[in-house]
Amino acid sequence: MYLKWKNLKPSVTTGANMVNKDLSFLAVSGDGDTASIGVGQFIHAIRRNLDMVYIVENNGVYGLTKGQYSATVERGSKKKKGATNLQAPIDLCAMAINLGCSFVARSFSGSKKQLTALIKAAMSHRGMAFIDVISPCVTFANNDESYKSYNYVKANDEVLHILDYIPHFSPLEEVDVPEGEFSEVSLFDGSTLRLETLASDHDYTSVVSALSAIHEAEQADRHVTGLLYYDPEVPTATDTLELCETPLVELSEEILRPSLESLDKVNSSFR
Amino acid sequence: MKVMGKKINDFIVNVATANGTGSQSSNLIILQSLFEMGVPVSGKNLFPSNISGLPTWFIIRASEEGYQAPGDKTDIQVIMNKDTWINDLEKLEEGSIVVYNEDVRLPVDREDCILLGMPMTKMARKINAKLGKLIANMYYVGALAHLLKIEDWALNRALESQFKGKEKAIQLNLQAINEGKEFAEKNWDYECQYRSEKREKDPNTFLVEGNEAIALGSIYGGISMLSWYPITPSSSVAESVIKWLPELRMKEDGLTCAVIQAEDELAAAGMVLGSGWAGGRGMTCTSGPGISLMSEFIGLFYFSEVPGVIWDVNRVGPSTGLPTRTQQGDLSMLYEASHGDTQHIVLIPGTVDECFEFGWKAFDIAERFQTIVFGFSDLDLGMNRWVTEGFKYPDLPMDRGKIIRNQDELDAIPNYGRYRDVDGDGIAYRTLPGSGIDPILYRGTGHDEDGIYSEDPEVYHSTMARLRKKIDGSRSYLPSPIVREESVKDIGVIFYGSMENTIVEIDDILEETGLSVSTCRVRALPLHNEVEDFVRKHEKTIVLEINRDGQLFGIIRKEFPVDLIPKIHSVSYSDGMPPRARVYAEKILKIINGD
Repeated sequence: MYLKWKNLKPSVTTGANMVNKDLSFLAVSGDGDTASIGVGQFIHAIRRNLDMVYIVENNGVYGLTKGQYSATVERGSKKKKGATNLQAPIDLCAMAINLGCSFVARSFSGSKKQLTALIKAAMSHRGMAFIDVISPCVTFANNDESYKSYNYVKANDEVLHILDYIPHFSPLEEVDVPEGEFSEVSLFDGSTLRLETLASDHDYTSVVSALSAIHEAEQADRHVTGLLYYDPEVPTATDTLELCETPLVELSEEILRPSLESLDKVNSSFR
Repeated sequence: MKVMGKKINDFIVNVATANGTGSQSSNLIILQSLFEMGVPVSGKNLFPSNISGLPTWFIIRASEEGYQAPGDKTDIQVIMNKDTWINDLEKLEEGSIVVYNEDVRLPVDREDCILLGMPMTKMARKINAKLGKLIANMYYVGALAHLLKIEDWALNRALESQFKGKEKAIQLNLQAINEGKEFAEKNWDYECQYRSEKREKDPNTFLVEGNEAIALGSIYGGISMLSWYPITPSSSVAESVIKWLPELRMKEDGLTCAVIQAEDELAAAGMVLGSGWAGGRGMTCTSGPGISLMSEFIGLFYFSEVPGVIWDVNRVGPSTGLPTRTQQGDLSMLYEASHGDTQHIVLIPGTVDECFEFGWKAFDIAERFQTIVFGFSDLDLGMNRWVTEGFKYPDLPMDRGKIIRNQDELDAIPNYGRYRDVDGDGIAYRTLPGSGIDPILYRGTGHDEDGIYSEDPEVYHSTMARLRKKIDGSRSYLPSPIVREESVKDIGVIFYGSMENTIVEIDDILEETGLSVSTCRVRALPLHNEVEDFVRKHEKTIVLEINRDGQLFGIIRKEFPVDLIPKIHSVSYSDGMPPRARVYAEKILKIINGD
């Protein structure tokens, strides 16, 4: 499913997920939505561990309204026109990790291989999979003083690991991670994400390690990319509600509408 | 003391207490015990917007005519609250009965009234030092039982229904009531002119709040997702759904309805939209401030054509207003909520039976018309207890509307488009995600008949024209007005919602002046054609409502033919109180007499 509605995705997805937990949900959003007008819904979708893939195309500016700063722009970054930003940024990955998000990654729209593997892994995850994709705005903020410009990210990308996604249905194809130093992440649907570790001290199962990686990169005015944090054990939004096995939209009228006898009982209980 | 003319089952009791002292139980026991005796009775809880300390009044009215409004004066005033003590006394008419807690130790300077004191707190502390403050309220129950001759068996039944199975609580409170009664018998040399008398009670009847009726209705309507954000006076709709789901909607392997407490009302509305889009029956309940926040999504429901149900239990606005008082101030907002040209279906129950009925019907209507459907209640109907003979089982199968379920059905429609009007009724066919059928396009931006983005002037104009036609088509489908017509058609009164509980008394006051008054209770927007016929037939029509500006009057004036408008007059008044008959009747008379 692709949601065309801006600012509103997490709640709409929540409602759809409640009545049909068998659907796969993929939403693509921006930083203006996720870090500002829709930040409340974003936070609570994470808190519920809503079973969806949430991708942010993060460029630090509002494009359609012609280049105003968004809330994710770094302190000291400067877009093509206007003053340097002096306000603190909202780091969406750090926020997601702090809220207990079960799958958090950052990538770059210029890193096709890494991003493809992460999106596939996110689709194989059960629960909220959040991917923050630094996506330069070529119109309003692709100048070199912009920390999210293509050149800047290319030069300052702190890549955690080389990634390869191995789908459960064809385990041998697509594997081009060399033999040697690697670890494997088992995903919900049986697929695997293979990581060839570059930054040896990063532990994607540790909140502390993930947050350190983000904050250390931030202090050096760099971007850290890769799978930052992963926890497959968090119950999803529907897990906690004691719903029946069948998706609710598939229930017949006989099940959705209690019997005449039951209403007699209800009435009697008041009398 | 002498007894003046006896008044049987015809009295108004006002109990003044402080919020958080447990007086609600005492008040409901009086109400319920009179009801058990078959006395036509109604109760109004006037509570403050805080948890503890601010003043609360509970008005109990017994009326052989069946009048349910608060009435114009107080016959028996119970005063327990020192903060309102002086004021409560000052307001009383000469000859009123005052039952007061002596332990408050404030003067009772009304020699023209009948003053009956009782050391309620002291007596309560004696039987339970810790709970003394709460139990003190049971002593006035005893006092009133003595004065009004409420029968013991009725009190017992009321106690049981209040403290369901909690034997210790029942015994403790019963002891307090009995002590109160004994004290009154021994110390008050006074025989009360007001009294209750047993009547034949229909064994099917019971008292229930409108909010619980809505909740049950929605459960029998097949609700599959409830999202909600707590707000007075609507929270008990959601809480009642949660209460009843395990009994009524539990399959062997789990519940058949999801409940989510949302982060705010905007998200709650979004969840309803998501569930409707996916083919579920989503609902949320809120009050005016929540509708304000939901307005963004309400436009998306309308324009992308997704079914959903939102109940508004109206409180007093604007802004935070009076959160615990009643009003019909949200009607025009609901009808045209969200930016741009919109028009929404609004169901307006006037009784608890209709709260149940519209509770299940709302889903059928939403899916039939693929749009948002509002239920419009208010605090008076929603949070006070009203009589029903029992809820009636839905008499129609579920209407899931125009849903294409498989490829064959899709192929049967030539040139299918999500927003193409095939049948000429403005309602297009929709497909559901997960069904395996291709086009699942919904769009909140401008779109053509296939759901493709378009800024073409003709396309936009025809989309909006079709939406108007679609909602217009609901007029004859929605619950029709309840018309009570006189043969002489002097005056017609159009009203709606909880005013139903006051209209009989208003009607009687007007007819005492020799007027012939017909009434028409509107039960849905957009208006049924019968409403226009009603106006045509009567010399003068009054639109009667509980708000400042005459919101239904505004809708009527906009939609009805110009030649009818001079015959239609607005009587609208709102002070937060449940409507008192005389206030509205006098305003109607003023208009009729041309003042």
